[in-house]
Amino acid sequence: MRRIALIIGLLFIGTVPVNAINISHEGTVPVAKPRYISLAPSTTEILFALGLDEEIVGVSSYCNYPLKAKNKERVGTFSRANTEKILSLRPDYIFCTGLEQAPIIAELRRLNLKVYVSDPANMQELFNSIRDMAKITGKVKEAENLIEHMENQIEEISSKVKLIPQEKRQKVFIEIWHDPLTTAGKSSFIDELLTLAGGVNIANDAGKAYSIFSQEEVIKRNPDCIILAYMDKESPQTSVGKRFGWSGISAVKNNRVYNDINPDLLLRPGPRVVEGIKEIYNKLYP
Amino acid sequence: MNPKLRKKIFALFAILIFTVLLGVLKGAVNIPFNKLFLKDNQLILSLRLLRILMGIVAGSGLAVSGIVLQAILRNSLAEPYLLGTSSGAGLGAVIAIIIGVWQIYLPLAAFIGAILSIILVYNLAKQNNKIPEQSLILSGVIVSVALSAIIIFLISISGNEALHGMTWWLWGNLQVYDFNLLFIVSLIVFLGVAAIYIFSQDLNAISTGEEEAIHLGIDIESVKKILILITSLIAASLVCICGIIGFVGLMIPHMMRLVVGPNHKILIPTTCLAAAIFMVACDILSRTLFPPLEIPIGVITAILGAPIFIILLKRSQRIK
Amino acid sequence: MDSLLKINNLSGGYHKETIIKDISLEIKKGDFIGIIGPNSSGKTTLLRLLSRVLIPQKGNIILGGYNIASMGLKEFCQKVAFVAQDTIINFSFSVLEIVLMGRIPHLKRLQLETNQDIQIAQNSLIMTDTVYLKEKRIDELSSGERQRVIIAKALTQEPILLFLDEPTSHLDIGHQIQILDLLKKLNRQNNLTIVMVIHDLNLAGEYCNRLILLNEGKIFKEGASPEVLTYENLEAVYKTVVVVGKSPISSKPHVFLVSRVI
Repeated sequence: MRRIALIIGLLFIGTVPVNAINISHEGTVPVAKPRYISLAPSTTEILFALGLDEEIVGVSSYCNYPLKAKNKERVGTFSRANTEKILSLRPDYIFCTGLEQAPIIAELRRLNLKVYVSDPANMQELFNSIRDMAKITGKVKEAENLIEHMENQIEEISSKVKLIPQEKRQKVFIEIWHDPLTTAGKSSFIDELLTLAGGVNIANDAGKAYSIFSQEEVIKRNPDCIILAYMDKESPQTSVGKRFGWSGISAVKNNRVYNDINPDLLLRPGPRVVEGIKEIYNKLYP
Repeated sequence: MNPKLRKKIFALFAILIFTVLLGVLKGAVNIPFNKLFLKDNQLILSLRLLRILMGIVAGSGLAVSGIVLQAILRNSLAEPYLLGTSSGAGLGAVIAIIIGVWQIYLPLAAFIGAILSIILVYNLAKQNNKIPEQSLILSGVIVSVALSAIIIFLISISGNEALHGMTWWLWGNLQVYDFNLLFIVSLIVFLGVAAIYIFSQDLNAISTGEEEAIHLGIDIESVKKILILITSLIAASLVCICGIIGFVGLMIPHMMRLVVGPNHKILIPTTCLAAAIFMVACDILSRTLFPPLEIPIGVITAILGAPIFIILLKRSQRIK
Repeated sequence: MDSLLKINNLSGGYHKETIIKDISLEIKKGDFIGIIGPNSSGKTTLLRLLSRVLIPQKGNIILGGYNIASMGLKEFCQKVAFVAQDTIINFSFSVLEIVLMGRIPHLKRLQLETNQDIQIAQNSLIMTDTVYLKEKRIDELSSGERQRVIIAKALTQEPILLFLDEPTSHLDIGHQIQILDLLKKLNRQNNLTIVMVIHDLNLAGEYCNRLILLNEGKIFKEGASPEVLTYENLEAVYKTVVVVGKSPISSKPHVFLVSRVI
């Protein structure tokens, strides 16, 4: 009997939240300085690049660039942001990517929070994303400057690449992860970076953006270079070279396995992708 | 009711109230008590209350389901997800994500998946309208393993990255935002537990043996079917709203049997209280150990539950 | 004596097997019946058919004028109790809780036990000399004590018919006599009809007023002990040499086993 009363009592208390959740969040915040939270390293970089700083009140624990980002309040990891923390920071807008953050996005929207999802798969989409974020944050001029700057840098590399004949274009294997062996296909962003840098992705028939690739195929397609898009403690030559059958690959024989390009430059769809393109170009055509 | 038992029940109630209060006051964000009820913090307060309610409902539901399955299968390792519920729900959820309807239909798809897998397990185990315990356990394990394999296969061939967010599923999560869904699930669990309580007498008899129960006039085949149906509904609805939370359904029944004895008339209500306390306490820990990081509750229930159980077991062995 | 249980052309067994073949029998009120026979003669199967654990393949069983198959199970258990050979209970119920379970056939699901129910349980404890065990836990008892507690539980059902399957096989001679004396007392004083499967032929002969000798699923011989316990019957059924004499105490038939090597 008492147990029943307890449960009924608690269900009754539970009706309080239902009204609270339906309250729009806007009315409670005086429109002073806008407050933004970024749940992904890429959107954090974009926000800072647009000239925002004080307005950014919360970031994820993975946001490490620029250095100022490290001093910001942490709201959770990349895949699991803490809702309570986010609410307590009273954001006007939340920026994040799609992919793993999809469940969190649904939850935040349910709480009537405004969420912008930036999930560009190529350069054009990245520019659109920057422009969208600029519109939201009122930094339209800064966005155009940023985009122009990025386009110039890309043009600089492209013009150099145009001078390289097709046959001399380096065949590259992009290794996203070693176990299972994962590579990036034609629809991935990093593939476009590689192409802009003048490389040829040996896995460009892999349909998906990221897929598990067969070791035999890598050996068969004999890439000129291998780029490891992750931090590896061992010297790349040894860790890759000691794989069975890989010692015969051009890239291994000619010591062209690279693990020293900062993966953040390659995998974060943000302003620094142009640096990534530069680094790839320097490795491919020294 | 003997006075020692009365004291224990009173203590359980007191601890529950204390734990609930603690759950309201503590969280990833430190909010002093006097500021907690301000309009600004109302949303956070609501989120915490929802979690606590979910914890109470999930704890009671899982623990009581565990009691029932352990009694009718006469197997101490029986637990609520034994009959394929968790993998069926997981498969339903994965399919919903792949088709792309998961935003609205995830809980429903998970529920349907759970129910279908239970029906499959039941029909595999049936022999001439009777369900022998061994067959039921065996079918449950086989179906779970098979469905899990299908889930892993689907995840590996699908490029859908939303599936990565499914990891919360494997370790449980008490934060709910959909109050309507929570209400429906609470209702199912509440009615289910009440219905199970009505069968306390039968459960006592069945604990002494299946033939013994028949000799006391219990129609065990009907009782088994009804109880399996009810526990399946409870487990399925809980899985689809808060994922898989292990340990609670397996160990809390054993713990409570050591504390209040095996008489189901007392065991069932006291287990509800104890399981509620345990879940809310684990939830508080999951939120406050390393803020803003939230440790999945299934991890906490396992780490916390094992030593508590060992202590109780040692104490009872010493008494013997 | 009136007829209590009529068994008509009963056949039954497990799955498609037929172990009991076409048995007809009448049990009268106040009988103390011993079912004896070799190991695979179907003694336990017969008991299971009579207590509704197994469903007959052919034939029927009439209790007090009603076919037991059409009775409600609880109604049936208000009249008929069963003591199994060896009951191991893995949960630590107290002895009193176990004995009180005997009232379940008389109680509705949510009904609580009344003082009268507790009194009946108490009486059963007194009758089986287990009052001193009342607060102990069932999984702490010796097998002899446990057996007496299970019998107390059966008595708490206040049955008119009691089935027992090898009630003395795990007991020492002191406890064997204690249990059988108790059963005899209940049979005489309370007019409790008892049907007992027992493998000890001499104890069967001492205590039972009727014996049923089963062989290969059929009744080989049925009647008072001097009629059934003859060397011709026993040698035919058990396929071993015996000599049947008389007990110096009770003058009832006593079976002596004959070794082939000594």
